[in-house]
Amino acid sequence: MIQKSDDIIIKTLARILVPFIQIYALYVIMHGHHSPGGGFQGGVILAASFVILMITHGIKKTQKRISEKAVAIFSSSGVFIYAGIGAVCLLLSGNYLDYSTLAKLLHVAPAEARSLGILGIEIGVGLAVMAVMFSVFFNISKGEDVEEDKKD
Amino acid sequence: MNEFLLSIGMGLCILVFLILYRVVFGPGVFNRIAALSTIGTKTLIILLIIGFLYNRVDMFVDISMVYALLNLIGTLAASKYLETVGEN
Repeated sequence: MIQKSDDIIIKTLARILVPFIQIYALYVIMHGHHSPGGGFQGGVILAASFVILMITHGIKKTQKRISEKAVAIFSSSGVFIYAGIGAVCLLLSGNYLDYSTLAKLLHVAPAEARSLGILGIEIGVGLAVMAVMFSVFFNISKGEDVEEDKKD
Repeated sequence: MNEFLLSIGMGLCILVFLILYRVVFGPGVFNRIAALSTIGTKTLIILLIIGFLYNRVDMFVDISMVYALLNLIGTLAASKYLETVGEN
């Protein structure tokens, strides 16, 4: 589906646009708790920046920036951050994802601990969503023949 | 001022339905892609007008920026697919 294209306008546009898209995605993740957005939306925007890179520059150049192994590490570490923060809340004798118990660990007021806890959760969700969305797109665009299709 | 913005927004909504005809019945793929991206830009402006009506422009600007970005990527992906597959 995706091949190397020689169109200089599209390539230059993508090259200029990608860093701004990524900064905007980080903004959406960081301000998720008092404006529209959050971990999922920011992760999707972050994945969109890699998708636009792959559409314009081809698979090989994108793999130099973010390889399949890195995508796997990102997705699992995102889930690990999410579940880890919840488990730390459990260890501090609270409910799962009860951020106010994090106040003992961070030495801040419980309200501020809730704000920091949801920020950590959103970072984890954003990483996982970015990696999974990108790996879905990556596996579709490689276009390998599936073995089961040939047998039929 | 609110009535002015409201009437502009409703006019844009009617225009979206007119362009929808070109998306459904339009001859060829190129007309459809162009009409789809036009609908995207109109939706962006309608979102901003809704933001002005609710006095929450700072929130709706974020949403409309994401919408513009996804619209651009969708158009690029469709035209890329068209380049490799052909119009049929």
